[in-house]
Amino acid sequence: MAPRQKTNEARRILHSTAIAPTEPLILDAFTSDPAGRILHLVLSKREQGAHVIGLYCGYAPLELIRAIKGIPAFLCASSGKTIAAAEAVLPANLCPLIKSSFGYIRTKSCPFYELSEVVIGETTCDGKKKMFELIAPLKPTHVMDLPYQPVEEGTLARWTDRVRRLKAFLEETFAAEIAAERIEAEIRETNLKCRLMDRVFDYAALDPSALHWSELLDIIAVEPLMGGEEFHRFVSPLLQRLETRAAGGIGFARPGSPRVLVSGCPIGGEAKKVLRIVEEAGGVVVALEGCSGMKGYSIRIDEGTGDPLAAVAAATLKIPCACMTPNRRRFDALDEMIRRFRPHAVIDVILQACHTYNIESWQIERHVQERHGLPFLKIETDYSQSDVEPLRTRIEALLESC
Amino acid sequence: MKGIGLDIGSRTVKLVVCENGVIKMTRKEANTHDPLSLCRDMLCGIEADRIIATGYGRHLLGGYLPCETVSEIKAFARGSQAIHKPCSTVLDIGGQDTKAISLDDKGKIARFQMNDKCAAGTGRFLEVMATALGLSLEDFIEAAASAETAEPVNSMCAVFAESEVISMIARGSSRAGIALGIHQAVARRAVSLLEKVSVREDILFAGGVALNPCMRTQIEEQLGRLVIVPQDPQIVGALGCALMASEE
Ligand code: SF4
Ligand code: SF4
Repeated sequence: MAPRQKTNEARRILHSTAIAPTEPLILDAFTSDPAGRILHLVLSKREQGAHVIGLYCGYAPLELIRAIKGIPAFLCASSGKTIAAAEAVLPANLCPLIKSSFGYIRTKSCPFYELSEVVIGETTCDGKKKMFELIAPLKPTHVMDLPYQPVEEGTLARWTDRVRRLKAFLEETFAAEIAAERIEAEIRETNLKCRLMDRVFDYAALDPSALHWSELLDIIAVEPLMGGEEFHRFVSPLLQRLETRAAGGIGFARPGSPRVLVSGCPIGGEAKKVLRIVEEAGGVVVALEGCSGMKGYSIRIDEGTGDPLAAVAAATLKIPCACMTPNRRRFDALDEMIRRFRPHAVIDVILQACHTYNIESWQIERHVQERHGLPFLKIETDYSQSDVEPLRTRIEALLESC
Repeated sequence: MKGIGLDIGSRTVKLVVCENGVIKMTRKEANTHDPLSLCRDMLCGIEADRIIATGYGRHLLGGYLPCETVSEIKAFARGSQAIHKPCSTVLDIGGQDTKAISLDDKGKIARFQMNDKCAAGTGRFLEVMATALGLSLEDFIEAAASAETAEPVNSMCAVFAESEVISMIARGSSRAGIALGIHQAVARRAVSLLEKVSVREDILFAGGVALNPCMRTQIEEQLGRLVIVPQDPQIVGALGCALMASEE
């Protein structure tokens, strides 16, 4: 989750584009404070009696969390401010996301962690896995043991068992039962929200793209905090506004702006510098492949199977994270995104010391170049601003070659 | 049409003037803490229709005079093609950047790679190492060229390499051998960057470090191929800009 920040990205670039939208997409009390909107949502749900449950990533099934009357709060992990505090304990040569999160927790500055009654983690990578050991004494922390070979025999059974253990943990902690019908109902909610998100993405696919990346990130941040109906009410006026933009040919691009798909590690907070540089170099970010972007929404959960918990487990195991091996689904999903969003270039963003995404980047490069004939750039970065100029050189060179 | 190309590098500012594709003038100055004033001085008295800048300081002139910018990758690709048409691969080792570019048959950029954000493997790294050995850059290069065997240096971080070198001296290793070891380490780095973009001949070696004959030999040895060093390897980027600026 992004730290509190008051800039309105979409508005910032309006002046540089001739045909850009003139009104913000999300018109509410938090138009210029998207992080405030998230905090407000979490706080108001909590006042209505929801348990705040701290999360890191999409492998934690949200259907179970909502079924126990929980509200998922993705923990702050995208600011460099807390890294120095983290490095007093953690090694410097570690993914900035992990360091940032740990630093937030250590300095008690992540409001979502402070509000959380429990935290759910997964063994997606070594850094997170070991960091969870350090935060576990502070607050009930349930770590799900994630198997890495998604299509091997037995993997799904093992993961289904881990999802069942999470259910038991939640039931015990909150002294309540999660009935199968509740999970089934939440599956329908998730699918409804995914379909709505898909309609939002349609506008990013337009040329010119009618949806700015910062608007996309703002909507994605809200989605997990709302039920299906509530999200429908939230997103309907946005879809109307997007439709008006589209009908008027209004969008975020100058003629000839190269369209860019950004893939790789989650991008939030200070890592958004990459998206800004793309824009300053004359490109338009039309698709975000990473977990902070669109990747998760392409997965639908089977409805009416008679075993909703198993259906949830099967769906989450389909998340194409680089921790999986082999990670065939990521390449398939990328093919689909390239077909849909028609980028002119792909930028793979690797957070420093994230070995899985870093190594997989080589395969992504080959795939993007050979299969799609697109220019490709891998960027390794962290949350500091010190590499902005070298990044600018690389990104400008990439866009020149489009 | 007359065009000016400026390559505002971390160590040196290079200026080339071209008219209808022909070089009319070149200038080079060591960069200062005030690169904008330096550029203004260098531009003084030159009339042209268009200016294009590249290098880390390329966005500097924008507020002062009408000046377009291109990335170093594009500038070096264009300049290399002009200097040596059959060139398919470009290696540029400058003051703070190392880059490898591969060009397709039409001279378009196919792939490029740049060094990490630190000075490892750049001209600056060689300067720091020369100082650590108590040698001027010229003597450092000469020592490396005269060494019979190299003392292997492993660290590529300027800070770590400096302490590695100091402990090697303390162990009694020869300065010439260490100097050669440093050249080999930088060459290894450059070659691995080249391999990432795929190495096809002809290979043009540009940038200030291409003036260093020992580095050239080391790179050729490790690549197992010959490289072409232009007469003035430092102006390749500025030339690329000047050529673009002198076109309609
Ligand atoms: S990239 Fe992998 S570990 Fe990170 S949030 Fe996504 S699924 Fe989780
Ligand atoms: S970005 Fe990579 S290293 Fe960092 S938390 Fe995610 S999976 Fe782990």
